[in-house]
Amino acid sequence: MTRLAVVSGGLREPSSTRLLADRLTAGVEAALRERPVEVTMVDLRRHGRAIMDAMLTGFPSTDLEAAFDAVAGADGLIAVTPAFNASYSGLFKSFFDVLPEESLTDMPVLIAATGGTDRHSLVLEHAMRPMFSYLHAIISPTGVYAATDDFGAWESGGLAARIDKAAADYVRLLTSCGQRDRRDVFTEGIDAMSRLLNGPDRTGPAPRE
Amino acid sequence: MQFGIFTVGDVTSDPTTGRDPTEHERIIATVAIAQKAEEVGLDVFATGEHHNPPFVPSSPTTLLGFLAGRTERLILSTSTTLITTNDPVKIAEDFSVLQHLAEGRVDIMLGRGNTGPVYPWFGKDIRAAISLTVENYELLRALWDSEVVDWSGKYRTPLQGFTLAPRPLDEVAPFVWHAAIRTPEVAELAAFYGDGFFANHIFWPSSHTERMVALFRERFTHYGHGTPEQAIVGLGGQVFVRPNSQDAVREFRPYFDNAPVYGHGPSLEEFTAQTPLTVGSPQEVIDKTLSFRDYVGDYQRQLFLVDHAGLPLKTVLEQLDLLGEHVIPVLRKEFAVGRPVDVPDAPTHATQVAAARRAETEEAQS
Repeated sequence: MTRLAVVSGGLREPSSTRLLADRLTAGVEAALRERPVEVTMVDLRRHGRAIMDAMLTGFPSTDLEAAFDAVAGADGLIAVTPAFNASYSGLFKSFFDVLPEESLTDMPVLIAATGGTDRHSLVLEHAMRPMFSYLHAIISPTGVYAATDDFGAWESGGLAARIDKAAADYVRLLTSCGQRDRRDVFTEGIDAMSRLLNGPDRTGPAPRE
Repeated sequence: MQFGIFTVGDVTSDPTTGRDPTEHERIIATVAIAQKAEEVGLDVFATGEHHNPPFVPSSPTTLLGFLAGRTERLILSTSTTLITTNDPVKIAEDFSVLQHLAEGRVDIMLGRGNTGPVYPWFGKDIRAAISLTVENYELLRALWDSEVVDWSGKYRTPLQGFTLAPRPLDEVAPFVWHAAIRTPEVAELAAFYGDGFFANHIFWPSSHTERMVALFRERFTHYGHGTPEQAIVGLGGQVFVRPNSQDAVREFRPYFDNAPVYGHGPSLEEFTAQTPLTVGSPQEVIDKTLSFRDYVGDYQRQLFLVDHAGLPLKTVLEQLDLLGEHVIPVLRKEFAVGRPVDVPDAPTHATQVAAARRAETEEAQS
C-alpha cells in the first residue's frame, strides 16, 4: 500500500489547480500499475481560516491536524499551487509554515503549479523547489507547470504528455524510496535530552524519597 | 490537591475602555490579587518572570518577599523562574532568603520560557538553551544539596569551596517544578530528577498536554522514582466566571478577542472547545476542571490564570470571590473522590522536612 497525500492550493471552485492535482494523482496511480494506493486530498481553501488561526495561536484545529497527519504519514506528496506574484500563493506557503517540523523529511514530492501564462513557469524552480529542499524533502526532477493555454490545447507534447512524463519519473522515485517512516520530533527530543542528562560527565542523582 | 492562581504580569489595555494601566498600577494590583487569593482560601500564588514590556514581573523574589510579609498561609511560587538566563547561584540565594522570610511557604517553578532576545541581555547564548538548562539546574541542585560545592561547567566560571548563604530553611530546598508548554525535554529533566512537572496547558490543545504528562509519568518510573501515578503533576488552566454563563461570555468576549496570544484568531467558542479555557458559570468551571483528570490522571496542583488581557482589578477580585466560594470547595471534594491512597499530595516545606528527617533517622539506624 502506497500512501499518497495531495495538497492543492487552488482558491476557486472549480479550480484549475485542483484539476491539475487530480490529473497528476491519476497519472501517478496509473504509473503505479494497479499497486494499491491510498490517496488523501488536502484542499487548502477548506482550511483557510484554520491555517491562519494556527499561525496566530501556534496549534492547529482538529481538522487541520488531521490534514497534517495525512501529509506527515504519507509515503509521498503531490503539491500544487497557483502562481502568485512570481511565487507560490500565500495560503500554500502558510500551510507549510504551520505544518510541524520534520513532517516532510525524506518525503518524495512531485511539484506542480498553475498560472495565467507560461511566462511564470519558473515558479517551480525558483520558489517551490527551494522551499521543499529546505524542508528536507526529495523533490522529483520533473515538475509540471500548466498555463491557462495548456487547458485549451491537446496537441502531442502538450499538458497530458507532460503529466504522464512527470508521473512516471515521480513513480520511479517513489517506488525506490519505498515505504516511509514518519519522524517523531517529540521522541527524538527526549532521546537527545536523555543522552545529555546521562552523559559521560554526569553520574546522575540518586533517586530521592 | 492544591489550587491557586498564576499570573503572567502583562500590562494590557482594557479593550472596553481603551485605558492602559501603568506599570505601577499593575504591580500594586498583583499584590492585591495575591492577598485576595489567600483570603478566599486558595493555596498557591505564582508569578511569571519576564524582562521586557509589556510585562512587569522582572524580579519575582522581590514581589514574593513582599507578599510573604502580607500573607499567612499562601504558598509563594513562580511561573516560571528562568533556569537558562539566571545565574543558579543567584537563584539559590534569592530563594533561600525568601524561604526564611516566608517560613518555608515557598516553592519554585523552573522554565526556559524565554523570547530569543532575552538570552543576550543576560550574557547567554540562545543556541545553548537546552544544555544551559541541564547544566544550570545541575549546579542549582548541588548548591542546595551540598554544604560545600566545588563545581565546574561549560557556561559559568567554576566554584571552589562555595557555600550557599543562607542555607535553605531547615536544610530543605524549595520543591522544584519544571514547567513546559511544548518542550518534551523539560518533562525528561523533571523525570530524571524526580521533581514535579507542570504542564502549562493553557493556550494549547489538551491532546498535547495529555502526551506531555504521559511521557513524564513514564520517564519518572523509568528513572526509578516510583510508579507513574506517584509522579507529581501540576496543570495550568484559564477561567472567566460569572454566576450566569451568558454574562460570563458576554463580558469576557472583548477581552478574549483582543488578547495578546490568541486575540484576532479563533473564536472564543473554538478556543474553549480545544483548550482548557473555560468561560461560564461556576458549574461549567467545575465540570471542565474535573475533566482534566480524565487525560492526565490524579494530579497535585491546579493553577488558574485569571488576571490577564486587560481585565480590571475589580473584575479579577470578583473572579477570585466566585472561585473561592463556589468552585474550589467543590473541586477539593470532587478531586478527592476515587483518588487512590498511594497518589501523593503536592510536597510542601513541612512534608519535605519530615521526609528529610525520616531519611536521616533511617541512615543513622542502618
